[in-house]
Amino acid sequence: MALSRRALIAAGLLDVERAERLLGSPEFEGADPERLLRGLALAADPDQALMGLLRIAEREPRVVELADDVMAHHPLFRLLGASEALGDFLARHPEHLGLLALTRELDFLPAEPEHLRHELLTAVGADPSAPTPVAGLVGTEGAAALRVAYRAALVDLATRDVCAADPTAAVGWVAVELADLAAAAVEGALAIARAEVRAAHPGLDTDGVRLAVIGMGKCGARELNYISDVDVIYVHATREGLDEASEAAAATIAAQLIKATTKAVSSPGIEPALWELDANLRPEGKDGALSRTLDSHVSYWKRWAHDWEFQALLKARTIAGDLALGAAYEAEAAPFVWSSSQRPGFVESVQHMRQRVTDNIPAAEVDRQIKLGPGGLRDVEFTVQLLQLVHGRIDETLRVRGTLPALKALSKSAYISREDAHDFGRDYRQLRLLEHRIQLKFMRRTHLMPTAGAQLRVLARGVVEVGAKDLTSADDVLKLWQGTKRRVRGLHQKLFFRPLLSTAARLGDDEVRLSPEAAQARLAALGYADPRQAMAHIGALTAGVSRSAALQRQLLPVLLGWMAEGVDPDAALLGFRRLSEALGTTHWFLAMLRDSAAGAERLCRILGTSRMATDLLEVSPEATAWLGDDAELVPRDVEKLWGEISSKLDRHASDPEAGMRLVRLLRRREQLRIALADGADLLGAEGVGHALADTDRATILGALRVAEQQEYAEHGEATRLLIVAMGRQGGREIGYGSDADVLYVHRPLPGADEEAAAAQALRLAQAVGALLQRPLAPAVQAERRLQLDADLRPEGRQGPLVRTLESYAEYYERWAATWERQALLRARPLAGDDALAAAFVAAIDPVRYERGLSAAQTTEIKRMKARVEGERLPRGADPKRHLKLGPGGLSDVEWVAQTLQLRHAAEVPALRVTGTLDALRAATAAGLLDPEAARDLEDAWLLATDARSAVVACTGRAGDSLPTNRQELRAVAQWIGYGKDRAAALEEDWMRTARHARAAFEAFFYPDAS
Amino acid sequence: MDRQQEFVLRTIEERDVRFVRLWFTDVAGSLKSIALAPAEVEGAFSEGLGFDGSAIEGLSRISEADMLLRPDPSTFQILPWRGEVEPTSRMFCDILTPDGEPATADPRNVLRRQLEVAADMGFTAYTHPEVEFYLLKSEELGADGQPRPVDHGGYFDHVPGGVGQDFRRQAVMMLEAVGVSVEFSHHENGPGQNEIDLRYADALTTADNLMTFRTVVKEVALQQGIYATFMPKPFAQHPGSGMHTHFSLFEGDRNAFFEAGQEYQLSTTARQFIAGILKHAPELTAVTNQFVNSYKRMWGGGEAPSHVSWGHNNRSALVRVPLYKPDKGQSARVEYRGIDSACNPYLAYAVVLGAGLKGIREGYELGPAAEDDVWSLTTAERRALGHDPLPGSLHDAIRAMENSELIAEILGEQVFDAFLRNKAEEWDAYRHDVSPFELNRYLGIL
Repeated sequence: MALSRRALIAAGLLDVERAERLLGSPEFEGADPERLLRGLALAADPDQALMGLLRIAEREPRVVELADDVMAHHPLFRLLGASEALGDFLARHPEHLGLLALTRELDFLPAEPEHLRHELLTAVGADPSAPTPVAGLVGTEGAAALRVAYRAALVDLATRDVCAADPTAAVGWVAVELADLAAAAVEGALAIARAEVRAAHPGLDTDGVRLAVIGMGKCGARELNYISDVDVIYVHATREGLDEASEAAAATIAAQLIKATTKAVSSPGIEPALWELDANLRPEGKDGALSRTLDSHVSYWKRWAHDWEFQALLKARTIAGDLALGAAYEAEAAPFVWSSSQRPGFVESVQHMRQRVTDNIPAAEVDRQIKLGPGGLRDVEFTVQLLQLVHGRIDETLRVRGTLPALKALSKSAYISREDAHDFGRDYRQLRLLEHRIQLKFMRRTHLMPTAGAQLRVLARGVVEVGAKDLTSADDVLKLWQGTKRRVRGLHQKLFFRPLLSTAARLGDDEVRLSPEAAQARLAALGYADPRQAMAHIGALTAGVSRSAALQRQLLPVLLGWMAEGVDPDAALLGFRRLSEALGTTHWFLAMLRDSAAGAERLCRILGTSRMATDLLEVSPEATAWLGDDAELVPRDVEKLWGEISSKLDRHASDPEAGMRLVRLLRRREQLRIALADGADLLGAEGVGHALADTDRATILGALRVAEQQEYAEHGEATRLLIVAMGRQGGREIGYGSDADVLYVHRPLPGADEEAAAAQALRLAQAVGALLQRPLAPAVQAERRLQLDADLRPEGRQGPLVRTLESYAEYYERWAATWERQALLRARPLAGDDALAAAFVAAIDPVRYERGLSAAQTTEIKRMKARVEGERLPRGADPKRHLKLGPGGLSDVEWVAQTLQLRHAAEVPALRVTGTLDALRAATAAGLLDPEAARDLEDAWLLATDARSAVVACTGRAGDSLPTNRQELRAVAQWIGYGKDRAAALEEDWMRTARHARAAFEAFFYPDAS
Repeated sequence: MDRQQEFVLRTIEERDVRFVRLWFTDVAGSLKSIALAPAEVEGAFSEGLGFDGSAIEGLSRISEADMLLRPDPSTFQILPWRGEVEPTSRMFCDILTPDGEPATADPRNVLRRQLEVAADMGFTAYTHPEVEFYLLKSEELGADGQPRPVDHGGYFDHVPGGVGQDFRRQAVMMLEAVGVSVEFSHHENGPGQNEIDLRYADALTTADNLMTFRTVVKEVALQQGIYATFMPKPFAQHPGSGMHTHFSLFEGDRNAFFEAGQEYQLSTTARQFIAGILKHAPELTAVTNQFVNSYKRMWGGGEAPSHVSWGHNNRSALVRVPLYKPDKGQSARVEYRGIDSACNPYLAYAVVLGAGLKGIREGYELGPAAEDDVWSLTTAERRALGHDPLPGSLHDAIRAMENSELIAEILGEQVFDAFLRNKAEEWDAYRHDVSPFELNRYLGIL
């Protein structure tokens, strides 16, 4: 009878044409197609179930009769729809179809381990009641019998699993039974091994060797997947009183037994291998002996074992072989496991474990991983295990192996709240269920979500109750998974940190109470060097019933985790406490941290790396608000700053001292803004330089205005002063706390006395310097005062501090040395009379741009550069680490740019700029510099500039060298953006970048030397 | 902590070892040694032993002079020449920074990194060195201003009652006693010149063995009242002392250089490896031939290769593919004949391997093999065949290395910089010297 397509679609079949064809096969003759369809509709994957049914029918026609009675045999459809691999097994071994007849009640509890052991031992012809069962079947025959029996039991298990009313709840017992079934298989394999070794070595006393198989990992914890490596460790013993020779023989026999066991389970065969039996967790890993005596294990633990090995032993459980010996092993191992949190390397090994959670996920898999990554299975396991290790030393009730039992124990003893334990238990089961269903299909070891819509739909139908309609589309299952992942991602903070706070704050409103020791143990495990002090900080922040204390309790769990990821968690926490106290009861601070995750994370990072920013934040805590708002972290331009300064000065016209204080406060504020933006990776090296230079310019403008007001009020107006920036300020490429190189130019007003005008100009220049430097009351805390330096003026320190425009023009016209022309390339009017500025620029432009470079002048420049290299470097400084004057440093790059400018600015107007990179780029665009050389030079300039800023930001002290102190170097690397613990990478990068820049410099400066 | 460390501690107890020498190597290839009391060994395993690196060549410039030595227990050996009464032992060490990272300036770490590169490509590298050296009557020069060899034998000569024979027997015994397997030893071409071939082993072990080898040879010579030297060219008129080294790469247990049916049974991998070495040979010569004197060997005739070329069983080529029995595919290998006996073996092996691996990674093409005797060709012929000369002096070699990204990458920036600085100083000192040659030649006539 032909079925309508609609009926096929209603049954959930996707490939309708193929389904029609298959249903028309002779095997299905005599079956009622409608009833068949009703059965198929129950399968998660009806297409696969149909195909599976047909393949079994080819071998065993009676299956069609079974299938016809849908109501009694719906498990058959469920199973075939869930697992292609088990369908294939049934096609190979139709004799096991009886299992699916399922006339018995399905029970949803794990099968008794004894029962499974009995089944598998009997299958290989061993006597389950013997103290050491020996198989009747050996070799490939034995292995095949064992594997078939295992898979038959697996079919039974999987059938009950896929028929469970609440599959999520079933995960618990399914995982237990899978582990017990694996254990039974190992027991069966061991029985085969005994028979084989006995036969192969009749001279050896095989029975005299006791061997126990210890399950590790998920098998040990009785929470195994459908398909996974089974991790084991072996321990053996001999009868007492044997001499050394027989002990050696015993080791040989044990090794033979292990090899034969592994072969029975894992070697290729007609009935395929079960899974890898992996003994690599044993002492010394792959290099170690396969089995050891208990004494040998213990002495290994005592002297050599790594910390992670004890963490692995947490899961150890005897699964096969000599149970008494296994029990002795477990008893000996326990003290090592539970004291491991006291060992010196614990923190590192925890970080290593944590890294295993988040690292090493191939990029293509990031969005599909169920096991790894934040919010994955391993995230749950890591946190639960860490809590067990930290608290299990004291509290023996936590000494359980599985993740779900551990969650229960932790909540029972109030280390985590009951609600959290419940939630995460559910999420963990949810993730495991997805994993189980994905693995079940092909019995392949995978932890990736499928991508195809059809597969996702099958998954959706597979994780709900039979016939339920609440979760049927691909989107549904993805949404379910994403939600679970999101909740799990917050798990670590929630379980790990939150209880710290209720303890520190001595609150009674939470069911969770940790002892002070327990709380400190948790902090130490994360890398806080002084957990007692850290607890004191946390206590101070969270104690009390105020709103801010309540908010702190909400926030700190997350913040403590972020701080622990920085270079110095203790400093970050101290800085945070000082900041919180400075802000007192202002609510916006904590609200900002709560509402802006980015802002809070930035704050933790900056507090942990930058001493300068921490100091500045402490005196202007309100700036913390900017971290939550990128718009606030955009540096203000000169016009805006000047607008603010001039209106402040207007308001305080009567009290210039007070006005000047406001200007200097503004400069400090802007420096902090720039540092925060820098620390948040919002500004590049170039951006930092521009922003700092603009801030200083606005400050000098303010100082000049105050000086003029005072001077003119006292002595009347005789002249106008212009301040011209030179050096790096001229190029807008300064660092935190740089001096400003300047020239002072003045032009007497018409009719003014020249000498009086000169005297006034000198007073003005000195007043500007003093206004910027003078101590103020109240003091501007944490200020890096701005120092003006006029050493680049004509005749240097011997020359007059201030000259008239004409004097400059005449001097440069007649006397300008090449180095002075070079210095003028950076001249940029900064503050003062606009007309005078224009006149000054008009006077120096011909000098700096239009004269070109003669051969003699080129030589002079080269000599000068060579002398600078030889003389300027501070005594004892390592040139290779010197960012400014070392080979490939800033100075090399600047001299290349400036030489090009002097030589070519006459014909290439684009070279008439004051910035180093601007000049390099213009020269490259004009074809004057090889693009590759230009890139090498620019890279070195940027890295050197970045590193110099970072040195000041991290250490609070200016420095031109890469720090030699390792801790400082790590901070500098992190500030630049290298990540944690990348000090050596920064060092290597700088040396390479500088070497390339030096090569480019030399090729440019000494083109003829080869 | 592992069983090897346990073994070391137990041996120290059982044999009543009084001193444990911790050995490491500076950038120039000199062996450095710190003696440790047995009680301190356990701590050195777990935490490392702090020392001030500022006086050690190559370590002096890096960020902190305080460094850590961590002994490698797999290299533990009792030193036989110190006598059995109060035995002394040694272990090679890795150098670590204070926060436990491997120091970039540790030559052993340079080789280790290169072996990791090989491992990432799926290879294990094996080496087999043939070390030549001279035995002299003493360190003092003779009346004629020349070193005095212990005998006047030649290649494979059996010198009856010869000092050399006794010496070789004693040296080989002692080498075996410290776990360095010897394959072969014989008298070489020059008077008093000997060669000892070490059995092949993974490259790091071989380099460790070479450091031990030099010490043993010098010790045995001292015991016999003579003097052994690894100087590349002690006599102008006799051949220099080279350290030809055979390299092979294994993928698992399969020799990756062997492919039946190809020309000389050479796999594509082998051809690319050779091409890599040849292409970069000028850049790496400063490392494999690191002294002013090295270039006297290379350009002083004899069997030393001075031109970039390869050949099948051609002793005049820089890279030789030795003849082996066709059924012994596992022994397929290539021999680099440029290295001399005074190199830093860690760095020399790192650069040769690194160059070969680059050839494999980038699929270099190998030119035709040299079939003629490269020495007997004229300069023009060599040019026509593309046999470029290797650097003619330490100065040229430094120049070639300075511009090599590959060598910088292999050595790491710190070692690269320290090495070049050290060699530039040596070249400067050499240039200052007025040699006997100049005095003999010019003083009389000018």
